[in-house]
Amino acid sequence: MEGVWVALLAFLTCGYFALAGFDYGVGVLLRLVGRDEGDRRAVLRAVTPFFLGNEVWLVAAVGVLFGAFPRLEGELLSSQHTVFAVLLAGLVCFTVAVQLRSPGWDFPLVGGAVVVASGWGVLLGRVLGGPAVLWGAGMVVLFSLHGAVFLSWRLSGGLRSRARRVAGVLVPCAAVFVVAAVVTAGPVPVPAFGVTAVVALGLLGAVWAALRVERYRTGFACSAAICALPVLGVFGARSVVTVSVMADVSTLRVLTWAAVVVVPLVLVFQWATWWMSRAAR
Amino acid sequence: MDALGLARLQFATTTSFHFLFVLLTLGLVTAVAVMQTRATLSADPVHARMTRFWGRLYVVNYALGIATGIVMEFQFGLNWSGLSTFAGDVFGAPLALETLVAFFLESTFLGLWIFGWDRLDKWVHLALIWLVTLTAFASAFWIMMANAFLQHPAGHEPRDGVLRMVDFSALVANPTFGTAFLHVCFASLTVGGVFLTGVSAYHFIRRTTEVDFFRRSLRLGVVLTALATPMLIGFGFGQFPIVQRYQPDKFDTVGAVDGAGLGFMIQIGFVLLLVSWATVPLLLRDWVVRLRFPLYLMVAGIPLPFVAAIGGWLFREVGRQPWLIQGVLTTQDAMSHVSRDQVLVSFIAFTGVFTVLAVADWVLIARLARRGPVSSDEAPVSPLVPAL
Repeated sequence: MEGVWVALLAFLTCGYFALAGFDYGVGVLLRLVGRDEGDRRAVLRAVTPFFLGNEVWLVAAVGVLFGAFPRLEGELLSSQHTVFAVLLAGLVCFTVAVQLRSPGWDFPLVGGAVVVASGWGVLLGRVLGGPAVLWGAGMVVLFSLHGAVFLSWRLSGGLRSRARRVAGVLVPCAAVFVVAAVVTAGPVPVPAFGVTAVVALGLLGAVWAALRVERYRTGFACSAAICALPVLGVFGARSVVTVSVMADVSTLRVLTWAAVVVVPLVLVFQWATWWMSRAAR
Repeated sequence: MDALGLARLQFATTTSFHFLFVLLTLGLVTAVAVMQTRATLSADPVHARMTRFWGRLYVVNYALGIATGIVMEFQFGLNWSGLSTFAGDVFGAPLALETLVAFFLESTFLGLWIFGWDRLDKWVHLALIWLVTLTAFASAFWIMMANAFLQHPAGHEPRDGVLRMVDFSALVANPTFGTAFLHVCFASLTVGGVFLTGVSAYHFIRRTTEVDFFRRSLRLGVVLTALATPMLIGFGFGQFPIVQRYQPDKFDTVGAVDGAGLGFMIQIGFVLLLVSWATVPLLLRDWVVRLRFPLYLMVAGIPLPFVAAIGGWLFREVGRQPWLIQGVLTTQDAMSHVSRDQVLVSFIAFTGVFTVLAVADWVLIARLARRGPVSSDEAPVSPLVPAL
């Protein structure tokens, strides 16, 4: 029973990084890829059909953290109080700005995306014992790469080639970050961390190759996996999740019923969102 | 003010912001679902236009609902880690169920609904808005269940120094849950009804040419309010004996803040009940529009149910102090080990961001409401909203 819930928490967190990751990446790149107002609208229109569905993975992950891992939730959040507070303020700005945007909203939109991406980086760095600045910048690079690959896939014409060029610049930057993260890693990570880094470098190579041969969907799948990898690194490298922080079996049993019904439903309906947006193109 | 006071103030502020938006979300989505049902069944295009216009206001309002909701969820762990450490096994379960069974599904359905206009089969699209409505009320269901546990802890036993769940059905059967949940449901329907009425009345004051459109909207608003308020008041007073029995101190220690909250709520509730029923006969032959002065009252009345809702919530929460979980865990003991400065920084950050964004959101809602149901090829406000 406990193992199922650790897996579900990992799944939801990975889902959040892989899906919301390109939201934030697109936010960071909004004014870089979109040179004028028409371009920027096109860039945002590529994201918006998936936006609500992407962001809510975070809500689900934290809900599971609270319900199934109550003694981890309080410890983790209150020990990183200020980082979470800044991250959340950025997240609120970004979420609202995407939904209500008119041209004046670009500052909270781009700024919020940068704050959220670097905030997750700082948190990951602290958990894994790496330098906060490196991780903060590194996650901005990874999410931006993911966003650029997504835009290369979903846009066309001049916007697509611009997004591709940005992605091409970001691939080596991301590789530098991965290497630096391993070199500067603290005493925490075990060999699993090195394996994660090798996989990450392989995936970066795959993204680069996929963009060259215009296999955008493959590239997108690889960049999504890259965004989710740090989460797997945390779950693999640190035994943060032990039975003592988890809720009792009596609670987990109640929650399991809900999860068994809801998670497949969400997957089906989110797949339907992708299918519908593809059909409309 | 010390760290505890600041953390409490922060919770009150965040929840109040969240509450203002979710109430309208719940009320408005129900009205939109009714409109879309009529649009699907009838050949008259006015219903489809109503669905789009009111649906757009609903989506703009939802933007702040989701943003404030995320902060709400994190706040438990940030400032009240004692609560999750000690009672997370029981209190966390309905919250986790809310995020999975309600919020996760609701946002997914809503995204599909927004971008499914003219792309999905009309019956599938109609089913989606009803699923959004259902999951939105399911959110209120789980949240009120979690809150009821704080008022009257049931279904748990202390083991290993923390609370463990022994009986989930006792959480559902909690006497401080059912009546309060229905009270909140009808409060949100009242908010939706008063909002529809007020915005429609504004257009009649401005002598709109969209007479049929706003006559139907106004009628729906008045009827919704008239049907919801008796239930609202009934389930409100129905809670008095329950509070008397399980939380007798609430009435004895009533202070300035929660006492005023309770008083405002009751008065506003009765005013809305009387006015909405007095308006129902005036709907005949459009008397309400021809008399004109009721229209001004309707516009002025838009904020009233919001004020009442905040007042009622303050009474429910402030009245329980010094307990966070009645008789089991004090608010003081539930506080995280964080410094006053940390709480202050986050309080200023959240309150500042919420204030600016909430005002911007209301300005946008007011602008869209004032513009009325113009054709959909106008300049879009945002990439998410104009998809409607």
